[in-house]
Amino acid sequence: MLRVNNIDVYYGEVQALWEVSLQVSEGEYVALLGANGAGKTTTLNTISGLLRPKKGNIEFLGQDLSHVPAYKTAEMGIAHVPEARRLFPEMTVEENLIMGSLPKRAKEKRKESMDWIFTLFPRLKERRHQEAGTLSGGEQQMLAIGRGLMLRPKLLMLDEPSLGLAPFLVDEVFKIIKKINEEGITILLVEQNVMHALNSCTKAYILESGRITLQGRGKDLLSNEHVREAYLGI
Amino acid sequence: MSLFWQTLICGLLLGGVYALIAIGMTLIMGVMKIINLAHGALVMIGMYITYVCFHYWGIDPYIAIFISMPALFFLGCLIQKYSINVLIGKESILPENQVLLTVGIMLVLTETMRLIFGSDYKSVHTSYTGTSFFIGDVSVSIPMAISFVIAMVFTYALHIFLTKTDIGRSIRATAQDKEAAILMGVNTNKITIVTFGLGSALAAAGGTLLVPIYYLFPDIGHAFVAKSFIITILGGMGSTMGALFGGLTLGIAESFGATYISMELKDVVGFVIFIIVLLFLPGGFKSLTKR
Ligand SMILES: Nc1ncnc2c1ncn2[C@@H]1O[C@H](COP(=O)(O)OP(=O)(O)O)[C@@H](O)[C@H]1O
Ligand SMILES: [Mg+2]
Repeated sequence: MLRVNNIDVYYGEVQALWEVSLQVSEGEYVALLGANGAGKTTTLNTISGLLRPKKGNIEFLGQDLSHVPAYKTAEMGIAHVPEARRLFPEMTVEENLIMGSLPKRAKEKRKESMDWIFTLFPRLKERRHQEAGTLSGGEQQMLAIGRGLMLRPKLLMLDEPSLGLAPFLVDEVFKIIKKINEEGITILLVEQNVMHALNSCTKAYILESGRITLQGRGKDLLSNEHVREAYLGI
Repeated sequence: MSLFWQTLICGLLLGGVYALIAIGMTLIMGVMKIINLAHGALVMIGMYITYVCFHYWGIDPYIAIFISMPALFFLGCLIQKYSINVLIGKESILPENQVLLTVGIMLVLTETMRLIFGSDYKSVHTSYTGTSFFIGDVSVSIPMAISFVIAMVFTYALHIFLTKTDIGRSIRATAQDKEAAILMGVNTNKITIVTFGLGSALAAAGGTLLVPIYYLFPDIGHAFVAKSFIITILGGMGSTMGALFGGLTLGIAESFGATYISMELKDVVGFVIFIIVLLFLPGGFKSLTKR
């Protein structure tokens, strides 16, 4: 479904990614893991077109994204739940959800999708007329995920959804991601919470200083010597 | 006492038109993060279009709004697309310089009008010019009242547009978080063009509504840049509702200044209010609605 082929990405003169490649197949739950500054966000931003690779390319559903403007990737079915949530703070919960369903296909199902999201996150229903900026951290993350789901995406990319949340909420978020995946939505998850992610994903990539250093099934990486030492502290 | 009410109503009515003009500037500021210093010149162009419509074709100023608004919408879109957005594409040019560009646009528009119409004052004389009606013993100017009502209708229509349509919501989203808006599928480049067009159309509407009340000349735009800027800051930058209250406040303040202090000092009163609000309410009126 998604193929990232040997991309090099720069910020001005400074290189952030070196020959990064990864594949996500339909229905998979793929995790991209790594320490702070490894290049995870850069990778997601390049997939959604906010950044352009200097070398290599990205294909989605067989189509080369090199010349697709960033705003069109949503229409193609990629929902990107960005780092730090990036909600529209002065819009209500409901308006934020509506903003997630602008492309034509998603717009047709707007009402239906909203009901679905309100059953997934009952808290959001209670707060639907409240401004997003006034929500708690956990509620904001739920809203960010909900806004992504409003697209009825083929691929849902999540950038550190557990960041800054209380431990019980972290469990909650991982449960919901699992549930979304089981409903048939392909997931590409970026996380620093390596333990949790490896436990729930089907496949994982480890990114270190802008390079993919390891890849494999989640369960296999859990028992990998290097992963255990560097990320799990065992 | 009737002088007091007279002053209040007069200020309120004029303030409504100021608000409409300032909301246009606020919209552009929200999305582009720049002060559009050509805004007053756009008001002025709107006034000249109205003048021409009346003078050459006998079109009533209030009907001319249907000509001046689309014309300025189109002009605004062109300015954004072929001038400001071109500058944004250049990495070597600082974003602050977009403001300088708007000064350049202001000069071009002002001098073009001077070339065509000369520097002298113009005005239109309609059947309702100078007419008024009475509430008790307070006389209310009919053209001012009509202009106020139309300005409020447009303000309300804009509010509905911004909150109930996908394009309107996309404009607000782009103002609040441009990158997130792109991820939602918003073509933010197009949104900047539409927003500049819309802001210009509102400037034009304000200009047209002033024609039955005011006289016009090429440099009149400068006064409206200053007023719009004050109102935008008073309202809390980027807030439409804030700009509405800011506009009414400025109109009333100017009116009281003119009546009770002196005609020459009415603009000073506006600045004094501006400074007081900045001192005691740095976020503008918008911060009053926030807990
Ligand atoms: N806007 C930027 N400008 C310059 N360098 C950046 C920018 N964003 C990230 N970087 C650099 O790129 C590298 C990867 O960052 P990032 O993708 O944010 O990492 P991660 O998401 O894994 O924490 C880091 O060295 C970071 O300093
Ligand atoms: Mg990151």
